[in-house]
Amino acid sequence: MNPRGIRALVSKDFTLFFRNRFFALVTSLALIVYVMLYFVMPGSVDETLEIGLYAPGWSPVAGDVQQQGLEIHVAESLEELEDGVADHDYVAGIVLAADLPDELVSGQKPRIDLYFASDTPEEAKEAVSSLIRELIYAQTGQPLVVDFSTQVLPGPDMAGKQIPPRDRMRPLFAVLLIVFETYGLATLITEEIEHRTIQALLVTPVSIKDLFAAKGFTGITLAFGQGALFMVLVGGLNQQPVIVILALLLAALLVTGIGFLIASLARDMMSVLAWGVLALVILVIPSMGTLFPGVITEWVKVIPSYYVVDTVDRVASYGSGWVDIWQNLLILLAFSVAFLLIGMVALRRRFQ
Amino acid sequence: MAQDAIAVEELAYLYGDLVAVDHISFKVAEGEILGFLGPNGAGKTTTVKMLTGQLKPKGGKAQVLGMDVARNAGKVRGEIGVCFEQTNLYEQMSALENLHLFARLFGISSFDGQALLKRVGLAGREKDKVEGYSKGMKQRLMVARSLVNRPRILFLDEPTAGLDPASAEAIRAVILEERQRGATVFLTTHDMMEADKLSDRVAFMDKGKIVALDTPHNLKQQYGKRALKAKVQTPAGELQDREVVLDQPETPDLIQKLFAGEKVVTIHSEEATLEDIFIKITGRGLKE
Repeated sequence: MNPRGIRALVSKDFTLFFRNRFFALVTSLALIVYVMLYFVMPGSVDETLEIGLYAPGWSPVAGDVQQQGLEIHVAESLEELEDGVADHDYVAGIVLAADLPDELVSGQKPRIDLYFASDTPEEAKEAVSSLIRELIYAQTGQPLVVDFSTQVLPGPDMAGKQIPPRDRMRPLFAVLLIVFETYGLATLITEEIEHRTIQALLVTPVSIKDLFAAKGFTGITLAFGQGALFMVLVGGLNQQPVIVILALLLAALLVTGIGFLIASLARDMMSVLAWGVLALVILVIPSMGTLFPGVITEWVKVIPSYYVVDTVDRVASYGSGWVDIWQNLLILLAFSVAFLLIGMVALRRRFQ
Repeated sequence: MAQDAIAVEELAYLYGDLVAVDHISFKVAEGEILGFLGPNGAGKTTTVKMLTGQLKPKGGKAQVLGMDVARNAGKVRGEIGVCFEQTNLYEQMSALENLHLFARLFGISSFDGQALLKRVGLAGREKDKVEGYSKGMKQRLMVARSLVNRPRILFLDEPTAGLDPASAEAIRAVILEERQRGATVFLTTHDMMEADKLSDRVAFMDKGKIVALDTPHNLKQQYGKRALKAKVQTPAGELQDREVVLDQPETPDLIQKLFAGEKVVTIHSEEATLEDIFIKITGRGLKE
């Protein structure tokens, strides 16, 4: 390895990156826009609980049980109630059977079905229970003796962990900033091949290994630098900063490998763009899971960026620690190393 | 006797089944300018790539400055300068930045880029981005870049191709200066006049083989003919061409007869060009 040569190449790559008006503009603009969007979005959750009620055959006096911050919507059918919960129109749905008052009066122990959205907070569940008690007491004059049957619709149960919308966006913005660098790095390398400057470099004491080291360093620094700066600006490093930084670093390693791979596949700048957009779209998919809990299913775990998004989201938003996250980081490391090796082998063949 | 700067033995390279370089052998002495001539596809560029460590030979061996290129490519590259036929400069950077980048890659800490640019006639434009340069300016910068490390061997691939006469002459002057400094020059060119003017020896390459290697003078002696070309006026007032082949036993008599018997209007000597000789040896032209 030739450290002086590598330093010279890295310095040259940064000069060329920021002299490319497109990259300079997109890089700085994206960072500014994402930070602005973050601060423009709501920083707290809506405290009003909207609850759906399906009670065929009897008319509970909703007005009697209205509490501060509680809103009841009466559904006309069970389907309407389920859809309302699934679509997040209500945080919870309650089904009161038509014979419920009679069962209570006769001393039986009736069952009440409750439906919750995947991100319904624990407080809301408690509020729903107390609402039911009040409803039934108002209707029958009897204290409640009942079995609750709880169903979460759909997706994983994230109850009690509701976070503000802008914090949900944080992993998406960080991943977008990092992933864009696959395109930036691939462009730098493809230009080098297209303009044959690589040939000029390879008749100096610089070796192919030095070139990979320089390009790798450039790619990782560009991607990590932007992701980390964004997280600093939006307070994403307030909890477990070491884990978040490690996740971003591994993500930068991953996009560097993907950048190498794209540069080895692309014949010209147009194909870099095409491959770059494809990579961007695929890598951003897992971020949708944090925006719309329940939308993303298990298959998304085959996309390496899932482990960045999930780690950043769980650590920065829910305060998860090493114990909860180590598997994510290990899988991310494996993906990153694999892509880096595949990218280097493919690019070496292209150089030769 | 000068030491060999380049020594090539049975060097070969194949692209699949295609033989690009077919077991060639030659030597270039230190301080010599060797003109390396041949049509497109003759194997010149592949040979240069092997000598500069860009390609590993598939057969034979090449020694540059006493080092086996295949085993010591890194060390060899530190001692040579390469100027490519197609411009491959960083166009978003200035001429000075381009030179300083390569100086750093060669590990040179104190480097006077301004002086080098002045040598190739680019003084005053050193801070302009290369993308705004003309073809001739870019080519001059390419030559300057190949001189950054004061190379002991300079590989130049068509350094004056397509240039205006002033740029071409500036580059030729630099080549001669480098030879004076003691550098060996490996000059690949299609320009026979240039090769003739600059080279101590020329090698003709065709279909992967070296078909002739000698000084231009010796090649002309061996394969060409020198002649006197005259225009004479007949008694009827017509102009006719006459040719007397030189270096023959009967030449003095023929010249005497020409001047005695006819009215000579113009006369000049003419000798075979390297192109003529190449055609004579290979049966085809250099540009085919």
